[in-house]
Amino acid sequence: MSSSPSLYVDRDTFLHRLNARSKLALLVGVFVTVYVFGDPLWVFVPLAATFATLLLVGGWANFKRLSFIVAALFLVGFAVWPAFAESGGPVLLETPLGTLTERELLFALGRSERIAAFIVGGLLFVTTTSNEEIVAGMRSLGFPYAFCFAVGTALRLFPTFLGSANTVRQAQAARGHEVGGGNPVETLRSYIPLLIPVFMTAIRNVQTQAMALEARGFDTRGDRTFYDRQPFGPTDWAVAAFGLALVVGSIYLRLQGYGTV
Amino acid sequence: MMKELVTMWRDTRMIMLVAVVAAVYAALLIPFAGLVIIPGITAVRPGNVIPVIFGILFGPAAAWGSGIGNLINDVFAGTFGPGSLFGFIGNFFFGLIGYKLWGNLGALSSGVEPNFRENAGRQLLEYIIVVVVGSALCASIIAWGLEVLGLFPFSVLGTIILLNNVIASVVLGPPLLYLTYPRIKDMGLLYPDLLRDEDLPDASASRAQTAAFGLAVVSVVWAAVGIAVSLGIQDVPFGASQGEQFGAGGSTVQIAIGAISFLAVLGLTVISGERLSKLLD
Repeated sequence: MSSSPSLYVDRDTFLHRLNARSKLALLVGVFVTVYVFGDPLWVFVPLAATFATLLLVGGWANFKRLSFIVAALFLVGFAVWPAFAESGGPVLLETPLGTLTERELLFALGRSERIAAFIVGGLLFVTTTSNEEIVAGMRSLGFPYAFCFAVGTALRLFPTFLGSANTVRQAQAARGHEVGGGNPVETLRSYIPLLIPVFMTAIRNVQTQAMALEARGFDTRGDRTFYDRQPFGPTDWAVAAFGLALVVGSIYLRLQGYGTV
Repeated sequence: MMKELVTMWRDTRMIMLVAVVAAVYAALLIPFAGLVIIPGITAVRPGNVIPVIFGILFGPAAAWGSGIGNLINDVFAGTFGPGSLFGFIGNFFFGLIGYKLWGNLGALSSGVEPNFRENAGRQLLEYIIVVVVGSALCASIIAWGLEVLGLFPFSVLGTIILLNNVIASVVLGPPLLYLTYPRIKDMGLLYPDLLRDEDLPDASASRAQTAAFGLAVVSVVWAAVGIAVSLGIQDVPFGASQGEQFGAGGSTVQIAIGAISFLAVLGLTVISGERLSKLLD
């Protein structure tokens, strides 16, 4: 486990400089484009564009870290979807278990590309947006301050608890505790000595942290100001407009009959 | 009605509990991968027990915390995307079910605090019902959402999530509650100690019981029917109607079943109550 679990890559690229809200608008545009088309060729265009952008902003290491998951999801989707798709076109493969038609193949490929595009799109967002920007973006989108505060605090506590979980695991291993067993139930039960210390350490913090907050006049109902306020500039408006154009354009093309299997 | 889900945000300790539950949930999902079923896709994760036991202990704070924790896990695991919305909602209800059901299951309830010290057999039965209902609801919401998005058929994800959640929660929940409940109670962090009396749901015992049984039935039936429809039972093929009817998402029948079930769950949640506050010594 790396010391920093964050996928954010600190660079000074065009995407990094954008406001979290405009990045979200762009992401929605890409997601809708990927969603409305079923033809693998049409889905491939936003997938390839998103992947290329991810590489440009320095996200290769992140993609490499997750490539196993992307590949596994792609393959499972590709294997599962033919069984749920309507057959059509020439038979491409005939086995004792069944046949694979051209339509089933294209349908499955389109769906698997969609899965990959969603993951790569999300990865592009978290690669270029820091935790603080995500929380500030949520606040400026109108989420209540208390909710944003909880998300921000959880994001801050998460690496601490992750480290604590790993420390407990190592400490128990040093005492001879082995995780695993002969069957799934034994394997799960072997986690109990690891979970209890993590739980109790975390919960003990609640009282003291709540008191510390209240001692500093913490109040979720008052208006808040932020030190690092990101302006929503002309470039952000242009990017948001591009995201909207993607949504409108892709839906229009889909209604015209393009991009279907 | 359901006002505690909003008013809890006024209490600093409840807000901190949301953050802590979210962080612990996310932190335990990643390093303790548990028993891998399909590499890269799914594993029986010990962390899945958190929404259930924290839901019983911390009520609405655990519901919000479970939703946020799952979202954080998506962000850090690289699976953040449109499906994360359904992951948030599914895990929110996974955490909420224990709070709504414990003590409200009539003859099936143990009638005592969830400490697994007295009436342990009855507590185990009640706990298993809570786990199955919560897991079924969580699995149905996520599987339905991802089918609407056209990512995975309901039967595939619905079955996997249901089994993962049930196995981890049933095996780990009782010993964890046995060991942690008395300590958390002593710390004064149970939700009845934190929420003001006027913020707790004011549902009568009979209404709370009806709502709890309603939630249990809708959740389990939704999961069962969703999986059956997805597998093409009763001549409702999953993929056949996709291109023609909805363009890109799941089958129209599946979408309708999900929409009706979810509305029923929302309605039942609104009229439901809680019971732990009356079981405390």
